[in-house]
Amino acid sequence: MSSLTIEFAGSRYQFAGLNPEQLGLVRPRFEALLCRDDTPPDVGVDLHYAPSRAGFMTRPPGPTEYRVAVAHGEDTIAVAGIGFTANIDRVPLRAQMQTCLNDEWFLGAFENLFRVVACYRLFEQGALVLHSAAFADGTRGFLFGGRSGAGKTTLCGLAAELELDILSDELNAVMPAGARFELRAMPFAGDFGGAPRRHPPYSLTGLLGLAHGSAPSVHECSKAEAVSRIVASCPYINADPLLVDELTSRAADLIERVPLRILSFARDTRFWRVLDDEYRGPGATLPR
Amino acid sequence: MMSTEAQAQHYRVDPHARFRVMDDEGIFVLQDAGEVLVVNQLGAFIVEQLKAEHSLDEMVVAITERYAVDAARARGDATSLLDALLEAGAIVRS
Repeated sequence: MSSLTIEFAGSRYQFAGLNPEQLGLVRPRFEALLCRDDTPPDVGVDLHYAPSRAGFMTRPPGPTEYRVAVAHGEDTIAVAGIGFTANIDRVPLRAQMQTCLNDEWFLGAFENLFRVVACYRLFEQGALVLHSAAFADGTRGFLFGGRSGAGKTTLCGLAAELELDILSDELNAVMPAGARFELRAMPFAGDFGGAPRRHPPYSLTGLLGLAHGSAPSVHECSKAEAVSRIVASCPYINADPLLVDELTSRAADLIERVPLRILSFARDTRFWRVLDDEYRGPGATLPR
Repeated sequence: MMSTEAQAQHYRVDPHARFRVMDDEGIFVLQDAGEVLVVNQLGAFIVEQLKAEHSLDEMVVAITERYAVDAARARGDATSLLDALLEAGAIVRS
């Protein structure tokens, strides 16, 4: 059995107990984020391969999208998906995964659990992980929160046309850094973001919600709407009874320092001129 | 006409929901669904009333005093909001 350690957003995750087939799937996927030194991990995940499929959620006959089942307990979080179950200990944060998979389905199970573990680790570090699209223009980082159908992937497609640096169209992290916030890439993406790669932290310049419109514009929204949009975009944590109050407080703190605005956009690249103008200058993230 | 029992009806925030007031508006976080609802200033006032264990009749009186509307309109607004929050799973009857 083998182990490997993956690092991003300032944390190291060690996965132990991988069999050769599983290792052969995970290693190339996360190659750019693998740790080569012996620095101890921040989170350990122990894998146990059990070939019998009895007791695991079965595979559907064709391609499918499904929601991972998560149950929040006092001390542990139970996670279940196709071909795997897992328990995550809250303190210290660590996980145990049982799986009957060692073919291409394993990578999906691995990433599904990794998402949950990473959300908890980053929350523990003071961050918020949002269902979001994010890109940067070299110095300025922009994050667009929203759930499925909000337009995240469409926006990333348009940003790609503009050759902006796309972090992900699925999950991104916002971390406090002194008096400001940084946008940190995560190795999970939908149609954009490609294979995980290392991104530098970007200053969070623009925090936006998405709306469809015929012409691009940016407008304000109330604090309650802003907080609700952020909380609704934070998977797993927003359903955790032990953490949801802290999540709401952090969201309120975030929008005090980086006000959330709503970007209305059509399916063209005109939105960038509006954003570029709106967030130009060192004081652009301050309330207007 | 509403029955005495209905008029004395009390509500409370669902145990799986959280409510918070922010700049006069209110936010419900529905943990089971991972959903969030925003209610306006009047909605936040009504939810604060139900959290204080006021009955529907008591809410109507409080709304008429605060917003200078007649009792029929206050009752209509309160009932509409409470029905919507019940359907969303944000509150329950107690």
